[in-house]
Amino acid sequence: MKVKALDHPLEVLTMALQGEVFALEAAHVREILDLVPVTEVPGSQPFVFGIINVRGKVVPLADLRLKFGMEQKPDTIDTRIVVIEIDIDRVPTVVGIRADKVYEVTELAPSTLADVPRVGMRWRPEYIRFIGKRGNDFIVVPDIARILSLNSTEPTPAVSDRKSAGLALASR
Amino acid sequence: MSKTILSVDDSASVRQMVQLTLQGAGYQVIQASDGAEGLAKAQSTAVDMIVTDLNMPNMNGLSLIQELRKLPSYRGVPIVFLTTESDPEAKKKAKDAGATGWITKPFQKDQLLAVVKKVLGS
Amino acid sequence: MMSVDATDTFRQEAQELLEHLEHALLDLERTPADGDLIDSAFRALHTIKGSGAMFGFDRLAAFTHHVETAFDLVRKGKIAATGALIALTLAAKDQMRRLIEAPEQADEETGQAILDQLQAAVDSAAVTAKPGESAASIGTEAALPTWRVRFRLPKGAMATGSNPLLLIDELHSLGQATVVAQTETVPPLEELDPTECYVGWDALLTSDQPREAIEQVFLFLLDDMELSIERIDDGAEVERVGEVLIEPGAVTLAAAVDTMLTAQEPVDQPLAKASVSDNKVSTALDEQEHLRAAASSKRTSSIRVPAERLDEMMDRVGELVIAQSRLRQLTAATDDSQIKSVVEEIERLADELQDITMGVRMVTIGTLFGRFRRLVHDLSRDLGKDIELITSGEETELDKTVTERLADPLVHLIRNASDHGLEPPAERATAGKPAKGRISLTARHAGAEVLITVKDDGRGLDRARIQARAEENGLLAPGTKLSDEDLFKVIFEPGFSTAQAVTNLSGRGVGMDVVKRTIEELRGSIDIRSTPGDGSEVTLRLPLTLAIIDGLLVRVGRGRYVIPLSAVEECVELTEEDDTRSTGRSFLNIRDELVPFIRLRELFNSPTPPDRYQKVVIVSAGDSRVGLVVDQVIGDHQTVIKSMSKLHADVKAFSGATILGNGTVALIIDVPQMVEDGRAYEEQFLKAS
Repeated sequence: MKVKALDHPLEVLTMALQGEVFALEAAHVREILDLVPVTEVPGSQPFVFGIINVRGKVVPLADLRLKFGMEQKPDTIDTRIVVIEIDIDRVPTVVGIRADKVYEVTELAPSTLADVPRVGMRWRPEYIRFIGKRGNDFIVVPDIARILSLNSTEPTPAVSDRKSAGLALASR
Repeated sequence: MSKTILSVDDSASVRQMVQLTLQGAGYQVIQASDGAEGLAKAQSTAVDMIVTDLNMPNMNGLSLIQELRKLPSYRGVPIVFLTTESDPEAKKKAKDAGATGWITKPFQKDQLLAVVKKVLGS
Repeated sequence: MMSVDATDTFRQEAQELLEHLEHALLDLERTPADGDLIDSAFRALHTIKGSGAMFGFDRLAAFTHHVETAFDLVRKGKIAATGALIALTLAAKDQMRRLIEAPEQADEETGQAILDQLQAAVDSAAVTAKPGESAASIGTEAALPTWRVRFRLPKGAMATGSNPLLLIDELHSLGQATVVAQTETVPPLEELDPTECYVGWDALLTSDQPREAIEQVFLFLLDDMELSIERIDDGAEVERVGEVLIEPGAVTLAAAVDTMLTAQEPVDQPLAKASVSDNKVSTALDEQEHLRAAASSKRTSSIRVPAERLDEMMDRVGELVIAQSRLRQLTAATDDSQIKSVVEEIERLADELQDITMGVRMVTIGTLFGRFRRLVHDLSRDLGKDIELITSGEETELDKTVTERLADPLVHLIRNASDHGLEPPAERATAGKPAKGRISLTARHAGAEVLITVKDDGRGLDRARIQARAEENGLLAPGTKLSDEDLFKVIFEPGFSTAQAVTNLSGRGVGMDVVKRTIEELRGSIDIRSTPGDGSEVTLRLPLTLAIIDGLLVRVGRGRYVIPLSAVEECVELTEEDDTRSTGRSFLNIRDELVPFIRLRELFNSPTPPDRYQKVVIVSAGDSRVGLVVDQVIGDHQTVIKSMSKLHADVKAFSGATILGNGTVALIIDVPQMVEDGRAYEEQFLKAS
């Protein structure tokens, strides 16, 4: 799975996490919310530890900082939740992505692979969908579906292991 | 909001049975082991219904009902007897004292629930 | 957004007609001279032929035409409906289905063969049936009796806790009721004692319940109250208002006639002048409406609705319930009585809407049971066994999607029972059993669940074989001793099969493990009981509603969780000694029974310090119980269940989520999972000690 260079203009929503700017495909974005109360889900994978209420629908909240090993600074007035809908393992899923700051909807121009400098170590190659250009900057469009999917394909406890899973939870 | 029922009986197992049956149907239950305690609890907590035995030490069921009906807050609250007595004279006396209804012991779970539902709603 | 394809509509209608035809034919087998059934079958054939031609299903139309001709002869009494004829018509029906579903694949020869045989059967059928002799008609649905119930409470009734509204609710629960209040005796405000009930009521009740049931409603007041219960003649012509009024003695016949003559107006009108109170007139009009409605209720009209539209409606109603509960919370603090009354009104409407929409999706399970008759008929023939299918509880209602998803599992269970459960006739004879093997299919409501059982009187489960097969397939360590209950559970594990040869009938890959999974997906459970030599019984338990939950709201640390109320047995306090005994798990002594308990704070890793007096909510699933230790029991909570996202599919502790009145999300605890954990711990503990 090589990093693809963007070969056509793409409409994206740009946002920031811990100072790093990246973008999500605008076509996937359903809405952008201010911070709302988050309910913890005990026993969930750490980076989807919470769920929120989006007009009657229960939506998981993904904190990509945990996925990328970033520092988790407290929320500010700029913090937003970007609600997207993508296919994860061929199942259309609605999920909220936490962002430190949301910038704008903009168009990324195509670029060739040769132009791309070494992107920061944060981004594992398999997590990146495209790298596009905006002005003089290069912006990463992460592959959210794969990021979230890689996690949920971790083996779930088999029937006979349920007991140990339950006890394991208790001893945490 | 779930409704609260006061169970008054000198037998602990009867009170437990009542509590188990009614709590299972979503009601809250508090207990008292004789008429005096029942009166005290009814005055300190507003309950929505009372189920009481007839023969108890320290104020029997009949006196309990008479005292309760004197209290303005308990006019109109259903009070049901749960008793081994089935004598029509006794029932009439209970009615005159202000009882809403009665259930004879031994009782079936469903019977108790049906009566509670009847006088209290769900 | 849905374009209704006309062909699809035809297909759907045709399927229904074919099912209808099949039922009629099977019934006809038992009562071959039943004229109504013959007509019914003929009409179905006739309609399919006609519509088929209209929608371009020419082969279907041509084929059906011949079958229709044969049946026309039966209808006219020229030939009898023999067993052979019926069997052929059933075969023809299958061909018709093929011609509808996949016309290109329907075999021409098969169709022709059926028609040839049909012709032969027609030719050889003797003209023995006397024309026009129809068997006893199926019987018109007996009209339900209607009662006029009038009552007035005794003095002081409300002060002793009687609530007339609850009495009226009870009347409504007995059947179709129209209740009208009689307010003429309500005194003016200055004289009114608010603790007295001055209102009487007139009710018209159409019900299948006996008179005693109506009296039972007024059980505690019978001695002192005014009560009259009269039966109104059923089948009577819906009375004009004039007649309805004269009965209760509101107006005497003579007076009515006089007024009518003098005024020379239509009868209804003069009543207004006969100084009958408005109240009485409107009561009479209501009664008339009720009678009319009761009479016409047999002619129910129905409308076909795409299932997605219903789902959408249910979703909206669910959201309405949530929004309304939030509105209630927000306005709880206000003193504005106008707002309060509107909020109450909205609450009432939302509740009613919810009830109605839940009802809309309910279908009776009878529609499913009906299909199985043909299945058993065919199985009987294919297996060479005489099998009788007995059903009961057809009127039990279930959500539409649940019913549809139950079809496959039930088919599998019936096949299993027929194939493996019931012995061949010779074996049955040696065992002293009647030659006819019996499979009973029952459905009933039990609390908040529906129980469906498939029972056979065959040879029962063979413990030894099951144990052997389980050990063979590595599901059990050799020599493990298990109770019947636990051993039979192994049958549901994937990778298990006792069929020596996977027969054509039951070995289609729909194993018992798939059956179990399907049931669990419907949030239900399944278990088997069996007695060697006597038979086996499989019980499916399904929750009554998919979407709405009655829950107990609790707090653990900072989070709020909902425990399904149907699983809650009781709440007790966690005494200090139980608390300090150990961390992790331990046992409570509840009336001399040891119940394992789980501290949810530890399970959920709550960072805040525990409440001083913790509570234990005892929950049960099946026969096992476990206590869940929480910080606080808040109260009830009723709202829509939302399923968890795929991203949380691995979190076993919760079965779903729900939205609280304040807009935040609360997780619903998966009680069977908790009980299972509790049991596992208990076993470990017992093994260790």
